[in-house]
Amino acid sequence: MSSESSKKRKPKVIRSDGAPAEGKRNRSDTEQEGKYYSEEAEVDLRDPGRDYELYKYTCQELQRLMAEIQDLKSRGGKDVAVEIEDRRIQSCVHFMTLKKLNRLAHIRLKKGRDQTHEAKQKVDAYHLQLQNLLYEVMHLQKEITKCLEFKSKHEEIDLVSLEEFYKEAPPDISKAEVTMGDPHQQTLARLDWELEQRKRLAEKYRECLSNKEKILKEIEVKKEYLSSLQPRLNSIMQASLPVQEYLFMPFDQAHKQYETARHLPPPLYVLFVQATAYGQACAHMKSSQPPRQDKTLSVAIEGSVDEAKALFKPPEDSQDDESDSDAEEEQTTKRRRPTLGVQLDDKRKEMLKRHPLSVMLDLKCKDDSVLHLTFYYLMNLNIMTVKAKVTTATELITPISAGDLLSPDSVLSCLYPGDHGKKTPNPANQYQFDKVGILTLRDYVLDLGHPYLWVQKLGGLHFPKEQPQHTVIADHSLSASHMETTMKLLKTRVQSRLALHKQFASLEHGIVPVTSDCQYLFPAKVVSRLVKWVTIAHEDYMELHFTKDIVEAGLAEDTNLYYMALVERGTAKLQAAVVLNPGYSSIPPVFQLCLNWKGEKTNSNDDNIRAMESEVNVCYKELCGPRPSHQLLTNQLQRLCVLLDVYLETDSHDDSVEGPKEFPQEKMCLRLFRGPSRMKPFKYNHPQGFFSHR
Amino acid sequence: MERAVPHAIPLGQMEVFQALQRLHMTIFSQSVSPCGKFLAAGNNYGQIAIFSLSAALSSEAKEESKKPVVTFQAHDGPVYSMVSTDRHLLSAGDGEVKAWLWAEILKKGCKELWRRQPPYRTSLEVPEINALLLVPKENSLILAGGDCQLHTMDLETGAFTRALRGHTDYIHCLALRERSPEVLSGGEDGAVRLWDLRTAKEVQTIEVYKHEECSRPHNGRWIGCLATDSDWMVCGGGPALTLWHLRSSTPTTIFPMRAPQKHVTFYQDLILSAGQGRCVNQWQLSGELKAQVPGSSPGLLSLSLNQQPAAPECKVLTAAGNSCRVDVFTNLGYRAFSLSF
Repeated sequence: MSSESSKKRKPKVIRSDGAPAEGKRNRSDTEQEGKYYSEEAEVDLRDPGRDYELYKYTCQELQRLMAEIQDLKSRGGKDVAVEIEDRRIQSCVHFMTLKKLNRLAHIRLKKGRDQTHEAKQKVDAYHLQLQNLLYEVMHLQKEITKCLEFKSKHEEIDLVSLEEFYKEAPPDISKAEVTMGDPHQQTLARLDWELEQRKRLAEKYRECLSNKEKILKEIEVKKEYLSSLQPRLNSIMQASLPVQEYLFMPFDQAHKQYETARHLPPPLYVLFVQATAYGQACAHMKSSQPPRQDKTLSVAIEGSVDEAKALFKPPEDSQDDESDSDAEEEQTTKRRRPTLGVQLDDKRKEMLKRHPLSVMLDLKCKDDSVLHLTFYYLMNLNIMTVKAKVTTATELITPISAGDLLSPDSVLSCLYPGDHGKKTPNPANQYQFDKVGILTLRDYVLDLGHPYLWVQKLGGLHFPKEQPQHTVIADHSLSASHMETTMKLLKTRVQSRLALHKQFASLEHGIVPVTSDCQYLFPAKVVSRLVKWVTIAHEDYMELHFTKDIVEAGLAEDTNLYYMALVERGTAKLQAAVVLNPGYSSIPPVFQLCLNWKGEKTNSNDDNIRAMESEVNVCYKELCGPRPSHQLLTNQLQRLCVLLDVYLETDSHDDSVEGPKEFPQEKMCLRLFRGPSRMKPFKYNHPQGFFSHR
Repeated sequence: MERAVPHAIPLGQMEVFQALQRLHMTIFSQSVSPCGKFLAAGNNYGQIAIFSLSAALSSEAKEESKKPVVTFQAHDGPVYSMVSTDRHLLSAGDGEVKAWLWAEILKKGCKELWRRQPPYRTSLEVPEINALLLVPKENSLILAGGDCQLHTMDLETGAFTRALRGHTDYIHCLALRERSPEVLSGGEDGAVRLWDLRTAKEVQTIEVYKHEECSRPHNGRWIGCLATDSDWMVCGGGPALTLWHLRSSTPTTIFPMRAPQKHVTFYQDLILSAGQGRCVNQWQLSGELKAQVPGSSPGLLSLSLNQQPAAPECKVLTAAGNSCRVDVFTNLGYRAFSLSF
């Protein structure tokens, strides 16, 4: 109870109690603030150390008083109560002091906290300020680097060099005295100069443009004039036609041909020009005959000019055409989707497409037989092909064995050595073929014609090995250099083929058609007879047992023609396998022999058979007869008959066999055998008519 | 039967002609140089090719070293026979014998040293020379061939000293007996004749075809090859290849070979022979066939044993005949490679 009441009354008690006590110390304060008493102010004035001493002292006093009270109480007695009361009062005073001290401590604590808080706030403010400043510094630094990195546009301008600038720029722009030392001013001055120059150039450009415009207008005017001239000229031409006809001057016809020739692709054009030129040159050489009446070489252009023109139209048109045709196709095929195979087929057809125009060359030989050559140009392959056809003045009876001689497929084969016309001469083609799955051009030559090398050369196309296609351009000089030799070769080829054709016709009937001018090569009486002359296949030839040497020597190519001849005399049968090179007669036919008489004799077991072969194969030059030696084959066969006669008649008679010799010796011979290999006298000496050794 | 088909190469007129010429070439004769390193071969076109045996046999031999070092036109007709002296190569064929210096033969445009023609009696056809034989003791050369005579020529003076007559047909081959100055000759008439060089007389005649054991009438009488060693002689041709004892003139061994032989020679205790057919045959003296080594030509005409002591590394057997190749046998049983014209 007492503690509670004291608590409630405490400020009063302190005031009433403390005022006189403290009033002595805080007189000036109280006087200054009037009647207000502030314990907070008092706190400032007191020393905490002394308060602490006071607190200790009070606590000791309280302890002492408590101990005395307890002591008194334990003694007991009546007078003790007073003393205890006294002591109690003293303790109360001490409690008061303690309370006071407690309050003071609280106030101090609160004050301390306030101070700390205040200080902390100050520090926070400073911190914020610091951060702001740092941010500002960073920003400024960024700005500085930005400025440093700035690129002016003028640096990209390609300025004239310094020396040139000082040499050419007028002094009012260059200002040498100012700009020499100051690079900034210098650059500015140079930029000024650049601007000046560009302005001038722009001015010039405008002038040129206007000039161009003017010239274009002039051209337009002139063109109009020229086009108005064309119909007039045409009408004049038209009017002159009857005069031309009357005077045998077919300028117009030639002109028309030249007009068509303009649409030829370059290689065919080269061929056309060169062939025409060559034909005219030939005609002029025979000046005794009227020109253009007996022309050995005539040139014509075939095919549709419109199609050729269409080729040069812009690609859109052609695409339209294609799609149109595609649509039609689809309709006809009932909208069937084209399979892969069909697509490839189309691609192949496209690749092997010929130019719509072709050049026809008619080469007339002396005996009025004509070689018709048609030259085509394969646009996508950039090669030329040729088809050949031979027509003769008189109808030919075609012997069976001559089947291939004049066939378009082989008549021109190997015109130059090795030129079979089966492979494409353009190396680039192989890659194109790979794409569309064509293995070789060989399968298509019957349709397209043969791409012989000489054809390319006539067209001025030269294909060096391992060279890209774009270097191939039609060249006139190449064509010109080949024209004459090729034409001569073509003529000889046709003549030799026709000659062979004639010879075959007789050979098939067992007649060796020796002409009168070759008669001196042979004795008058030849007993051995040709009984068979047939053509055989290349494979069959390769299979024969006595042709091995020729096959191994590489002389039996599949472009050659192969024949089998059989020569008989009595019981002796001589088989001769013949290789006819397409280059006949400059390359001789090659014979391999097999004699069936007293056993089988070939070059491997009889030296004289070998000698007979070499007589016809190696010594063929003496059998050529008069140039151009088309009779060679006939002469070789006749020679073979003579050789067989000699062989049989000179055979040494076997003493052990009874009866007369089968072949009595009728030929006049100086000696029967000669040399280590016992050769027979195969050489015929013409005027005397005897046989001797070679 | 499949045949190897060579790769087709385009052939022009010249190439075809050359190929045909090679195909019909016959190599008739061979001779080894005195140094033993070169081999001369003569063909039916009158050309002589010199091959370098040492180059072809060396370990780094290439295809080119099997080709001739030099080829030249020696005669107009075939070169049927060649022999080598210490310094010269003597070649003969179409009636003339020509001498070439071995020292200069490898140079381009080599000219013949001299040429001689034996005195022939006929004028219509110049007789060929089928065989040449050196007689070292007399320093002379014996020529035989188409005019059925043996001509001896003094190599010192170049004069023809003797003519040995007796053959009735042309002479194929000659052989020298080493001890006594005697020469054997075999000819188309089927006789082997033995000549004494001192008296220039025929001392013995063996008419081979008359002996039934070796006669083969369907092949003819001719003696194509001949070789001798002391008292022994081996000859062949139309009749069978036969070993003869000369003193008694009797055939001792008949070798069972059907094809006519064109060349025969003694080698150590063997007899080597070649002729029609691809093989070089090796015989024991008793008549057994020891070996048959196939060559590359369909028929062989000459064998040459290089036994020059100067070049032991080139000791080979070469065989040539009806082809443009000379087969080289490094030992008797094996054909190593072919030289080719």
